[in-house]
Amino acid sequence: MQTPIVSVDGVGIRFSTGRRHRSARDFLFRNDRGTREDRSFWAVRDVSFDVMPGESVGLVGANGQGKSTLLKLIAGVMLPDEGTLDVRGGVAPLIEITGGFVPDLTVRENIRLIAGLHGMRKSTIDEKFPEIVQFADIGDFLDTPYKHLSSGMKVRVAFSVVSRLDEPIMLIDEVLAVGDAAFKKKCYRRIKNLRTSGTTMFVVSHHLGELRRFCTRGLYLSKGELLFDGPIDEVIERYRADVGLSR
Amino acid sequence: MSAAVLRPATSRASALWRSRRIFALLVVRDLKVRYAGSALGWLWSVLDPLLMAVVYWFVFTTIFERTVGEEPYIVFLLAGLLPWTWFNGAVTDTARALRVDEKLVRSTSVQREVWVLRLVASKGLEFLLSLPVLAIFAVAFGADLHWQVVYAPLALVLQTVLLAGLGLLLSPLIVLVRDLERVVRIVLRLWFYVTPVIYGAVDIPEEYRAVFALNPLTGVFSLYRAAFFPDQVVWSHVATAAVVSVLVLVVGWMVFARLERTVLKEI
Repeated sequence: MQTPIVSVDGVGIRFSTGRRHRSARDFLFRNDRGTREDRSFWAVRDVSFDVMPGESVGLVGANGQGKSTLLKLIAGVMLPDEGTLDVRGGVAPLIEITGGFVPDLTVRENIRLIAGLHGMRKSTIDEKFPEIVQFADIGDFLDTPYKHLSSGMKVRVAFSVVSRLDEPIMLIDEVLAVGDAAFKKKCYRRIKNLRTSGTTMFVVSHHLGELRRFCTRGLYLSKGELLFDGPIDEVIERYRADVGLSR
Repeated sequence: MSAAVLRPATSRASALWRSRRIFALLVVRDLKVRYAGSALGWLWSVLDPLLMAVVYWFVFTTIFERTVGEEPYIVFLLAGLLPWTWFNGAVTDTARALRVDEKLVRSTSVQREVWVLRLVASKGLEFLLSLPVLAIFAVAFGADLHWQVVYAPLALVLQTVLLAGLGLLLSPLIVLVRDLERVVRIVLRLWFYVTPVIYGAVDIPEEYRAVFALNPLTGVFSLYRAAFFPDQVVWSHVATAAVVSVLVLVVGWMVFARLERTVLKEI
């Protein structure tokens, strides 16, 4: 039997609902040392599933039910408070994608920096640079500081870089909501190509049509728990029934 | 230490080793920002210690009668001020490393220690690049170079270890307790005066020696100075510096590993 590329076993992560930052005084004198049982909630809890290489999984659920947090855990940018998470392969995370870009650096520098931070070698970056630029359709703005780009352009650059990482696992969180029709079409094509070439995908989207289009399997999350794990159509049906949407 | 502690420690170290390419990328970016930002980039990085050296030199040779340090005093000063500038800059920057780069930290799974350690390295390289200034002054003021210059690499290693430890200790704490940043600034200012920079380790009165020796910089700076002033080295200070530095690194790394999970939720 094949080994799963992602194994999630009893994973949970807890956030504090209290104030985000404490001053030194609170820290020293009020014994207020962060997450305590009574003032915290579990954003994700007791979630377990295995994903095989090449599967594409859609995460379904209303806002604030833990979908994005779960993706962040898989991306390794957050660490679970309980349970274990085995991710056997590199991850190309299209999550908060414009976040990693440095506003003051130019588009060119940013592309190199972000590609490098995700582990791409310098020679590979050199080789793929023209492709990335062409895909983002950003040629005229290469030496413009990133902060001067429009929000649509920012997403285009970010998507182009991250989708070129050639990692076996790709995470997509609502990135396709931005961008014009033409770019969206290009993205769809890219995602389809990556799927055919065997990339494992996790997709968060409120666009149910997108989920149907890209995914074969669905995970239905509610209040941080995994309610249902099955074929994407069934998962979407259940979700629609729960929120009172009918076909 | 139990196996449960040791295993994560080795896996962290090996993960860090795998991140070396990203580490280099960030160090290069730091230096580029520093030196390419302005044509005077290099000058800016040496101007601070240079001006301070001139000020102290003036104060202690013209206004006060100097009873500490050695001749030529300006070289003596610079040999302490240049590493101090590294220390000061690295502690200030590493302490806020996770906060300043929070967006990058949040969006990539790069081994988190890298964000801190890369600043120790880039500041260290800046220090090495500032050494020609010391050489120029040594030649100009006729300070003799002694064979004890071979101690310098040891000093470099000890200071790197100490800075890595302090950075790993402070950077997660400052995310969780914001105003700690001010405390760090004040402590650094005081630390300057309890460190043999404007005076030498051998000038410390006998009854205070033991206390001053606990400051790892006492031993470390005397090793740098040994290149021109070999009488400054007190080996018991160096031994203490080594023990304290390694201890700080171990504690710092443990704190970092412990708080990493919480920090990632807070940034």
